[in-house]
Amino acid sequence: MRIVCPFCGERELGEFTYLGDAKPQRPAADAGEDAIYDYVYLRDNIAGPMSEHWYHGGGCRAWLKVTRNTLTHEISSVEPAAGAGAAKVGA
Amino acid sequence: MAEFSWDIRSPLDRALVAGPYGARGEDGVTLIEIRNFDLVQVMTRRGAAGEMAKAAQARFGVAAPETPKAVSAGDATLIWSGPDQFLVLSKGGRHTMEALAPVFAGSASLSDQSHARALISVSGDKARAMLAKLSSIDLHPDVFGVGAAAATSMDHTSVTLWRGKDRNAQAVFNVLVFATFAESLWHTMLDSAAEYGVTISHSEDLV
Repeated sequence: MRIVCPFCGERELGEFTYLGDAKPQRPAADAGEDAIYDYVYLRDNIAGPMSEHWYHGGGCRAWLKVTRNTLTHEISSVEPAAGAGAAKVGA
Repeated sequence: MAEFSWDIRSPLDRALVAGPYGARGEDGVTLIEIRNFDLVQVMTRRGAAGEMAKAAQARFGVAAPETPKAVSAGDATLIWSGPDQFLVLSKGGRHTMEALAPVFAGSASLSDQSHARALISVSGDKARAMLAKLSSIDLHPDVFGVGAAAATSMDHTSVTLWRGKDRNAQAVFNVLVFATFAESLWHTMLDSAAEYGVTISHSEDLV
């Protein structure tokens, strides 16, 4: 499997580290115990396209948001995670 | 208190043995360790990319690299090392932390890497064949020309790789590696290059 880093180009899997599901959003502080439990512990076991965080630690050290099909490993999009690259995102 | 003076030595001081290595009568790969350089990491602060770019242009007379490449700026080389960051490689104390701090005050954070990295220059007829064993980067001249750069890994070790100016009509690949991993990568490089015959030396001059 290869990932096309938006900063470096196509690179082998060994340069990347998998973090996990990119979908969960931290709930508001007053959201209640159920929402926090859901955010911290509960994950969907997706068979199909899934949004994931990957870290290009063996390269440019940017965090990436990758959409990968968990059935085929086909990657349909790769974009910088929020804050990766001061000029490009979240400036 | 006893006087103590730091003895500055290359991380390859022990491992590097100048002279021929590997296959006899062949001279396929030349490995030169470059010693005593100044290396400063420049990381743009959030929202200050424009200001940083202006400061770099004014200081070096060239635009700082925004994509993986190495830019020659007379007495310094600016090497892309990640989004909104690059390394300033120079000799002779002209672009040290102290010299660059006022230049990038407010627009970038600096980190002195002069003694944190080892710099190895790889050239020779078989340089690409030898590097192909260590790197998954396509080093074909059509793809990786003079000035091309990559933040990548060799033998599970993060390196900054770039192609410098040709020497004796041959491609020169420069590898910056973390000082504490330098000896390990050096031995791996020797193993990879042995079959082609290696000429080993060290130099004080940037190439």
